[in-house]
Amino acid sequence: MGKSKRNKKTFVLIEAVLASLVGVVALLMILESRDDEFKVSVIIRDSDDNRWSAFKYGLRMAAEDEGAEIFVVGTDEVLTAEEEKSLLEEEINNGADAVIMQPVPGEDPKEIVEEFGSRLPIMFVEYAPDGDGKTSGVPAVGADDYAMGATLAEELLRDYGGSLEGKRLGILSQTTDLTAVYERGRGLGDALEGKGAKNVWIVSGSFIGTDINFLAKQPEVDIVIAFDDDSLTMAGECAAANNLHGAEIYGIGNSTEAVYYLDTGIVECLLVPDEFSVGYRSMMEVAGRLKRSYWEIMDERVPHTVVRRETLFSEENEGLFFAISQK
Amino acid sequence: MENRHFRRLRRLRLRGIQPTIMIAFSVISISTMFMVGAMLYIRFATLTREKTIESTERMMEQAGEDLEDYLGSMRRISDTAYYNIIKERDFAVPGEDIQREMNILYEANRDSLRSIAVYNDRGSLIAAEPVASQKEGSNVTAQDWYKQAVGEMENMHFSTPHIQNLFDDATFRYYWVISLSRTVELTESGNPRLGVLLVDMDYASVSRMMQQINTAGNGQYYYLCDGEGEIIYHPRQAQMNDGIGSENSIETAGYGEGVYDEDFGGERRKVIVNTISYTGWKLVGVIPYSTFTRGMIDLRYFIVMLMLLMAMMLVIVNRVISARISSPILKLNDSVMEYEAGKKPDIYVGGSPEISRLGLSIQSSYEQIDMLMRKIVLEQNERRKSELDALQGQINPHFLYNALESIMWMVEGERNDDAAFMLSQLAKFFRISLSKGHTVISVGDELQHAKSYMSIQKVRYKDAFSVVFDIEDSLSSYSTVKLVLQPILENAVNYGIRGMDDDGEIKVKGRLKEGNVILSVEDNGLGMSEEEVSLVLTDSNRIRKRGSGVGLVNVNNRIQLVFGREYGLIVESEPDVGTTVSIRMPAVPYTEENRKTLEKGHVFGKEEIRDGKE
Repeated sequence: MGKSKRNKKTFVLIEAVLASLVGVVALLMILESRDDEFKVSVIIRDSDDNRWSAFKYGLRMAAEDEGAEIFVVGTDEVLTAEEEKSLLEEEINNGADAVIMQPVPGEDPKEIVEEFGSRLPIMFVEYAPDGDGKTSGVPAVGADDYAMGATLAEELLRDYGGSLEGKRLGILSQTTDLTAVYERGRGLGDALEGKGAKNVWIVSGSFIGTDINFLAKQPEVDIVIAFDDDSLTMAGECAAANNLHGAEIYGIGNSTEAVYYLDTGIVECLLVPDEFSVGYRSMMEVAGRLKRSYWEIMDERVPHTVVRRETLFSEENEGLFFAISQK
Repeated sequence: MENRHFRRLRRLRLRGIQPTIMIAFSVISISTMFMVGAMLYIRFATLTREKTIESTERMMEQAGEDLEDYLGSMRRISDTAYYNIIKERDFAVPGEDIQREMNILYEANRDSLRSIAVYNDRGSLIAAEPVASQKEGSNVTAQDWYKQAVGEMENMHFSTPHIQNLFDDATFRYYWVISLSRTVELTESGNPRLGVLLVDMDYASVSRMMQQINTAGNGQYYYLCDGEGEIIYHPRQAQMNDGIGSENSIETAGYGEGVYDEDFGGERRKVIVNTISYTGWKLVGVIPYSTFTRGMIDLRYFIVMLMLLMAMMLVIVNRVISARISSPILKLNDSVMEYEAGKKPDIYVGGSPEISRLGLSIQSSYEQIDMLMRKIVLEQNERRKSELDALQGQINPHFLYNALESIMWMVEGERNDDAAFMLSQLAKFFRISLSKGHTVISVGDELQHAKSYMSIQKVRYKDAFSVVFDIEDSLSSYSTVKLVLQPILENAVNYGIRGMDDDGEIKVKGRLKEGNVILSVEDNGLGMSEEEVSLVLTDSNRIRKRGSGVGLVNVNNRIQLVFGREYGLIVESEPDVGTTVSIRMPAVPYTEENRKTLEKGHVFGKEEIRDGKE
């Protein structure tokens, strides 16, 4: 009697162990078959602009690598902080698993992270950390803005034999409210200090619908420095129309327009930030955060390349071109 | 260590039949199932791998043909442009024929064509379609496609993808092209001179073709490189440009067509190489081994799940089967064990014919054993009874002869009263001796019998001795074997008292002691030596010398036959002091039932003897 009871117990135990193994395997099968594709929304100003080509291509490549779905929110040239915030909320409500966004003037990325960071991973692009490039606690991927400003100054000095004595500078930028622009200016300013250059004007604005001749109305300068792609395109356009009084243009840009103006000799020197990397890395970072439990999103700085007309079609720069020319 | 294994083995061996069958069945069936599962999986995995490689090869073949078609069409365009347009015309003669025909050719192929251009040997643009102005500073003669064409004039040359750096496009667009260049002979003012014909293919066409096959999304991919391993298309080209990732294209470019195994970037992978004609390009399909594994994960889970479910089922089925097989054996075993434990259940007969036959055989064996046992008991009882009867039968003739002789002497001596008393005592004596043929009588009757006997003997020996009966009253109601006192008294008279003048004394005592009835006969006669005492209960021949011939051995045997070996006579004697012979019997109340039980000889089945007090 005792033996049969023990046999029954063993039998029930074996069956229970097997049943629990079946349960574990079933669970693994369900987990395996679960669609782990995630959706990442991207909020960037003037989303259809050519300057985002390389960035969007980078996003797309990373999305393919990580099995993500990307959705670039369509935006105009002008995007206010309130509009961006409401777009962010809308995207969260639409089921975005993560958001990659570009800060707009008047917006504090830290506040955005504090407000929405607990709900989903947020990554900023084109956001320069405060100070000397130290980490700000805001997850961001972008070019090293200060270094770009400094490089621009170095190129300028090289062309002018190390001295800008008596040279008049005009500076163009979309806004002065963005830390990225501020850092570029700071880098340039620091590098040109004591080199004799005279800062004649600084024009900033979105230049939308602006008469291209408006730059001609500005005091004559020898060198125009454009801090961003829009400004560089604008300056190139003015110069092409001979409205820049023969000023040489140095600038930062990453659109085919910017390349075209360099190619045609209108722009003297072009600094191209690796926007492909910005897109790729920002997506990889949010993917890492979503897929793995322990993943700290880091500030990342991508390199930039100095391109001259002579080296535009060189083998080294073809890769840069490849990303920029993607549609 | 070894001992432990042996102990384990022994424990296994000690298991019951059902667990043994179940474990054996389960181990065999489950291990067979696992083996079959593993073999199926391996076979299926191999087949899937072969299938994947086969389908990849097929797809690559198709893609290779498409590419060759495309490149072939480009060559045809180049040929048409050269042989039908350029060679026929004199470029110095003004006219629109060349441009118009080039335009027709371009329009017919514009989907895959970026431009057609003719340069002279100084690198000046002679004609181009679509019409465009040559970019300032585009140093054509320094461009690779031009150098290649001039370098090997007899061949057509396909370049790697590059940005077209020829025309000024005010729409800010830059095109990725693959250049097909060749040296051509131009006629200018009737003079032949060399030039280069350039057909720029739209890279997007090639890239689109490659994208179409690069949709697996499981790690498998295809890329295109030239004969030197320079990448023409790679799905991760941008990443590679950016330093994220690399490709083993240079080594692969050295492979001929076929399937290869290689290790690259810490990963083992299968590489399928297909060579594109005209160009020497290699279309390469890469299948990392992890892709095969990933594709098999679902199958693995499925097989594991299936095996677990089958194992569960097998355990249940094996349990049922083992229970069915072992149940009749267990039932048979239980009934045999119960039988052996003293209970007498029916031996189980059932189950399969073999077990049923075994049950029947055991049952009949037990029945036979039972029957034989009963027969033996019966025979033994019979033998005992006849032995007892024979022993009892030894008493009477001698005594009767002596008593009758005494009565005869009394009658002859005219002692009629004595003779009458003697006869009445003899009558009592025989009545009790007969006791309706019973062997067991009450102690009271036995004492009466002894008294009658002693009365007769006293008359015979003319009161030469005295007899004292000192008996506890309660003793009368217990059982005793009949005629046990008389032979002892006879011995006391014959050996103890005879020849002692008038002072012979015999005491008969009766006591109940520790659940036993003790009857003792004590005389103050001659007594015996220790050696003689030891022979009294063993040497039956010795007693026959004198007296009734029924010795103490006889009494002792009879008591032991009825009550058991632990009971019987105890003889104590000392020369010149006297002899005491004690009878020790269990205190069994004298009832009809107990009498029958004792007479049947169930001396050891004491539980069957009822205490009269209950």
